[in-house]
Amino acid sequence: MGLAHGQEKYITKQGYISFFSHSPVEDIKADNNQVLSIIDTSSGQIAVSLLIQSFIFEKSLMQEHFNENYMESHKYPKAVFKGKIQDLGDLTADNKKVSITGELTIRGITKPIETTAEIKKMDDSIILNGDFLVEVKDYNIKIPSIVANNIAKTIKVSFELVHQPYN
Amino acid sequence: MSKKNILILLAVLTILGGYLGIRMYNKPHVNVAESDPDLVLFSQTLLDDFESDEISANEKYLEQIIQVTGKIQKLGTANGNGTITLTNGTSIGSVICHLSEKENKKMVSLREGQEIMVKGICTGYLMDVILINCVLVN
Repeated sequence: MGLAHGQEKYITKQGYISFFSHSPVEDIKADNNQVLSIIDTSSGQIAVSLLIQSFIFEKSLMQEHFNENYMESHKYPKAVFKGKIQDLGDLTADNKKVSITGELTIRGITKPIETTAEIKKMDDSIILNGDFLVEVKDYNIKIPSIVANNIAKTIKVSFELVHQPYN
Repeated sequence: MSKKNILILLAVLTILGGYLGIRMYNKPHVNVAESDPDLVLFSQTLLDDFESDEISANEKYLEQIIQVTGKIQKLGTANGNGTITLTNGTSIGSVICHLSEKENKKMVSLREGQEIMVKGICTGYLMDVILINCVLVN
């Protein structure tokens, strides 16, 4: 029983999540390679958490502003998503489109979120790929007017999570 | 001061300001290899601190350059870069060190069970304590 239960859980501690901001002035991208994600295939439950300070920018000054001014990562070190993959069913090596609903917490503020993603099972890995949009104002992130034109109002978040059996 | 001198002074100030602005905009990332660690401790102490009181551990360790000594439980890769998991074997959690790109080639000399010293920037605690931009310390 315990063993069977364990085999339904899949985990990654090195998932990849990036975000992208496009504006007429500049494009800004940051990458995070230390994302923790756990999927329970029996229920479709998924929990993803990441550390804000693990986002790496090309420019260290942007990274500094992101952490200190916008995200206040000392006060709110994590972002967390908890949700459910709808109609997970049986997984094959072919990508299957699924919808995911849940709650995303950033800067201590929790908002419902809904997105679609692609999921497949290759060998022992469960691979979940997709992207969704986040409104900056939903999470009370204050962008000073002097850089308002440099940062998009809507940020695209992309994820690539390669889970292994959790044992 | 003549008008000409004032113009020259203004030009010099503008160029200097522009230069400093660009330098600041292009400020490099912290070079972990060449920086002295802010804290030196055993990987287990770091993990214990986060497991017992995450909030105060965040205050103490976040964004700091931390040098840890610990035993290699597992060697791996994440998006092409080496990862080293340090643990004493009794905890569920561990300290996961993500190596900087330049350090990858040193992975071949490492063995599981070996005790090593690693220096990196602490970004926080999920199931494990995460150190990024890590370099090996000899």
